[in-house]
Amino acid sequence: MRMDGSGASGAAPRRPMGSTEGGSLLPSGYASPAQDWFEDRIDLNRHLIKDITSTFIVRVSGDAMEGAGISDGDELIVDRALRPRDGSVVIAVLDGELVIRRLRIAPSGVLLVAAHTAYEPIPVPDPDHLVIWGVATRCLHHV
Amino acid sequence: MSEHRSSIALVDVNNFYVSSERAFDPSLEGRPLVVLSNNDGCVITRSPEAKALGISMGTPWFRIAGQARDWGLEVRSSNYELYGDLSARVMELLGRYTGNLEIYSIDEAFLTLSGPLDAQHRTGTEIRAVVRRHVGLPVCVGIAPTKTLAKLANRWAKGNPGFDGVCHWDLVPEEHRRSLLQRLAVSDIWGVGARNAQRLNAIGIDSAWDLAAADPVGIRKRFSVVLMRTVLELQGTSCITGHESTGNEQVLYSRSFATPVTTRDAMHQALSTYAQGAASRLARKSLQGRVITAFAATSPFSTGPRSAPTVCVPLPAHTANPLELTRAADRLLPLVEEGVPYIRAGVVVTDLRPAGAQALLPVDGSAPKDTGLLLHDVGRRFGRSAIGLGHAGLKAGSDWTMKRDMLSPHYTTKWSELPVVKAR
Ligand SMILES: [Mg+2]
Repeated sequence: MRMDGSGASGAAPRRPMGSTEGGSLLPSGYASPAQDWFEDRIDLNRHLIKDITSTFIVRVSGDAMEGAGISDGDELIVDRALRPRDGSVVIAVLDGELVIRRLRIAPSGVLLVAAHTAYEPIPVPDPDHLVIWGVATRCLHHV
Repeated sequence: MSEHRSSIALVDVNNFYVSSERAFDPSLEGRPLVVLSNNDGCVITRSPEAKALGISMGTPWFRIAGQARDWGLEVRSSNYELYGDLSARVMELLGRYTGNLEIYSIDEAFLTLSGPLDAQHRTGTEIRAVVRRHVGLPVCVGIAPTKTLAKLANRWAKGNPGFDGVCHWDLVPEEHRRSLLQRLAVSDIWGVGARNAQRLNAIGIDSAWDLAAADPVGIRKRFSVVLMRTVLELQGTSCITGHESTGNEQVLYSRSFATPVTTRDAMHQALSTYAQGAASRLARKSLQGRVITAFAATSPFSTGPRSAPTVCVPLPAHTANPLELTRAADRLLPLVEEGVPYIRAGVVVTDLRPAGAQALLPVDGSAPKDTGLLLHDVGRRFGRSAIGLGHAGLKAGSDWTMKRDMLSPHYTTKWSELPVVKAR
């Protein structure tokens, strides 16, 4: 059902980097030998975003996910279309707020757990009414 | 066996501005919320809770501002940057379901669907779920043999929870359709203006049912070809095509290419031509627009790469200026892929209003301020380069002409205003 909306099928000529063929075959006076090795610059959108229609960037406030490498002030790439699974880092709607936690789905019940000893897991007594706003796919951690 | 027929689906976001605000601020869910027009003038979108408070469309903000707190009413200025981005996401998603997407306004589009009728209905249901999941916005879908009926079906899908957001005209039982049409006033039919409605009432045509039963030729003689088309459309004969449906809600300029366009340069030329075409249509109707959407699409039948880029660009102020419109339409170009065969492109200008309808400087409903003071105020709030007189002021091109005191963050277009998630 989902199609990749961001996949640019670049028609620009591509050659593997480091390939040596071509240079010696150029006629003299050829304007720019470099253009034969032309390759698009790395575009993070292409590599980090699967579907542009459902991808949003959010900013983290607080330290409850520190242990998962997600710190206060970090930016996250969130895909709203992904199905959350056990272990997903999710943005959940709790008391009208967007809250980041790790989703745990066990036979004993559903939990939203932090990655910091100071924060208790949040039990989800009624998972049918839990609203997951999106699933985090990458953390842009400030080093 | 289910019947096969090509149908038209109208997809429309429910309370688009309100829903956009809620998509990023869940605390607004279930609370009365209104969004104000330019310069925080009057109410242009209401949540169902705000409707229940008895706030009507177009209510001047200053008239209810005093009671807002007592009512628990939330209010936001128009965040066109946010709405524009979400609109483009919705349109791009819709383009994945049809080869023929006609963007009708910032939050509405017509799609051509083919195949069995029940499969069309399922596509409608899927579109509704996918837009909700990807963008976080609720939409309703009306599907019918004609645009006019698709508009009606959409309205019923919205107003009638039994439809679960999707109404396929051909799948509604005959007697049910009849009672829906009989209960709908002619003035509520797409394309029938208030003046026509009055004249129709005078000859005994009150409901949509009455108009659908009218003789098209008689209507053409007494009224116009346009109204005759409406009658035919109500009877199930599709006759409003993309190029004609330019009421005063939008101006569409779109063409299919004789030979596919495969380069950004050629697309640039096409978009410039279309933006200028749209500008002259606006000028001819003495209208100005606030939002321009530009799009391109590959053939739905192509086996090669498919692409349907869309951008929706809110303009700094209402305009019919071809240069401004062209520059805005050019924002599509980075999304156009070199070497991919595009067969169609176009621009749509929406959020229209009569030219010269608005004062140039911010007006807040209080007594007019001294212009010098006002310039000073604006300069302090937005930086000195934001305002000036004459050309110096006009060239700034920022949103200094708008007062937006209750603006939510530009969640998706400004790095400094990203939505905040609590790690708590
Ligand atoms: Mg709408």
